[in-house]
Amino acid sequence: MFSVILQQGINGIVLGSLYVLVALGLTLIYGILVQINFAHADIVTLGAFVAYFVAQTLTGNYVVGIAVALIMGGALGWLINAAVFAPLRRHGSELLPLIATIGVSIMLQNAMLLLFGPIPYAFNTPYSSKVIHIGPLFFTLQNLFIILVSTTTIVLLYAFMKFTFLGKALRAVSQDRETAALMGINPNFLIMLTFIIASALAGMSGALLGPVLVLTPFAGTSVIVKAFAIVIIGGFGNIEGTIIAGLIVGLIESYTTQFLDPGLIDIAVFALLLVMLAIRPTGLIAEKHAENV
Amino acid sequence: MSDLSQIKSSRPIPPKKFITPRRLCFLVAAITIALLPLIFPSSYWRTNLIVCAINVLLAIGLDFVLGYAGQLNIGQSAFYGIGAYASTLLIMKLAVPFWVAFALGVLISGIAGTLLSLFAVRLRGHYLAIASLGFAVITYQILLNWISLTQGPLGIYAIRPPPPISLPWLPPIVFTNLTNLFYLIAGFALLVYFIIDQLVRSPIGETLTAIREDELSAASLGIDAPKWKAFAFAVSSAVAGAAGCFYASFVGTLVPDAFFITESFSMLAMVIVGGMGTLIGPVFGAILLTILPELLRGIGDLRLIVYGAAVTLVVLFIPGGLVQAIRVVARHVLPAGAKFEARS
Repeated sequence: MFSVILQQGINGIVLGSLYVLVALGLTLIYGILVQINFAHADIVTLGAFVAYFVAQTLTGNYVVGIAVALIMGGALGWLINAAVFAPLRRHGSELLPLIATIGVSIMLQNAMLLLFGPIPYAFNTPYSSKVIHIGPLFFTLQNLFIILVSTTTIVLLYAFMKFTFLGKALRAVSQDRETAALMGINPNFLIMLTFIIASALAGMSGALLGPVLVLTPFAGTSVIVKAFAIVIIGGFGNIEGTIIAGLIVGLIESYTTQFLDPGLIDIAVFALLLVMLAIRPTGLIAEKHAENV
Repeated sequence: MSDLSQIKSSRPIPPKKFITPRRLCFLVAAITIALLPLIFPSSYWRTNLIVCAINVLLAIGLDFVLGYAGQLNIGQSAFYGIGAYASTLLIMKLAVPFWVAFALGVLISGIAGTLLSLFAVRLRGHYLAIASLGFAVITYQILLNWISLTQGPLGIYAIRPPPPISLPWLPPIVFTNLTNLFYLIAGFALLVYFIIDQLVRSPIGETLTAIREDELSAASLGIDAPKWKAFAFAVSSAVAGAAGCFYASFVGTLVPDAFFITESFSMLAMVIVGGMGTLIGPVFGAILLTILPELLRGIGDLRLIVYGAAVTLVVLFIPGGLVQAIRVVARHVLPAGAKFEARS
């Protein structure tokens, strides 16, 4: 029994660390722009498909696939910012960019449906068949790889935000765009940079999630819905909170699957979300944007 | 002097005349509804007309809470689903008469909407958006997983259309006939439009708008914002519930996928493309976005890509929706001095 709990704990953390990568992108964009990018989900899906084709058919190298997915994600994020968010910024509306990106999401999903078809793809990486046993526990090399890559990415991102000049400038813009601009920081450049980083993360997490997900053009939707929950539970715009919340959601998912019913995952996650909103609407770690609650 | 005549009083004096422009518009709308099935005799287009009527109902219901009360509700599919499943289950499991089940379905959706408004009391903007999205996800998952009640993904089959209405001296009106069903749903939509139109032009509408514009100032004027938010959510979700009930009796089968969160998004798109915060806008937004994919059937799989592109482009270039587009066109086309007001 104890080993089952431990085993599912490992699985939950693997899944949770991927959710963290997706949710961090959303929370970075929210932090700097106070906008929601609904097409974020489809960058994840597209990242998975790109990695699939690069790794499985073109080069045979999974790491190259991840790198290409990362670059593709960054490019798509730049495009979405330039085409949708930048022109809509002057309206100052909360709703318009949300709807516009829902439109983008419908476009991307159906374009992928046209290209890749509705049948799920079997994404096998060289690491998914190698199993490591430690006592009663086992995990695939893929799981180890996921934890390694996502932990490295999260640490790098955290260090970037805390210690580099650009990271500090990013935080300055998300705290007060006008004052940051007065200090000589170009907010438009930093917003663009945020979109590129966030979307590159989404593309990469898609490449890592590909072997875990049922890979169809609509796979991103179930991920993004959980990412939204994570972002709110962690506190919108808060990196530490997002990391903790992402791991919690990953654990909820694996324990619900083990002890209850896989169909109850979303119910459990969103029940937690609604409870959080009812008792502590500022998220796990309260920071800013208190005007929303 | 002419400028003074253009200043519109926010609460016009009730007209003494029997025929007013507004009443004339309702008459025109009623005649249009009566004529539409005659213009489109094929059952394919009559089916689309009914889908249009249901979507119009959904769009004006959502617009009431979104456009007038300013509450960012992106989980409207929950109430649509609750109305559909509640009324259908009452009919199929408890043999409740259709119209009683209809009323109860509307009531249950309204109560669910009031429950969501408890969150709206504390949350604003995107937090409310995600909370409502969560509400819709939970509702969808319950419909999918409570198999003993809803039969989950297998769905509920053989739902009967509304029972015939018999009037004296006339043959009974049966609703297996698409034309009659269209008259019923479109007539109901017109009634709901009339009621919401009265509501938003009454002091209640001004109260909701005050909450939308600035909740703090509204509170300082003695407006009980939580109460009025609950009211807006209740009305909006009740309308969605009614649409769900009609949907079930029209389609004849219910599966949870019909009430997935993407359904909320298409309702949002209808409201935004039409023109949020006006009532006539969402009506045309709903009709346009229902008909557009049908008209695009010729281009096959590309049609949903075009649909997504259309939604994005409208938001980017005419953020006020069709209503704004018509206003701009009217300003340029109509002779100077001619006054054009979109009926909101």
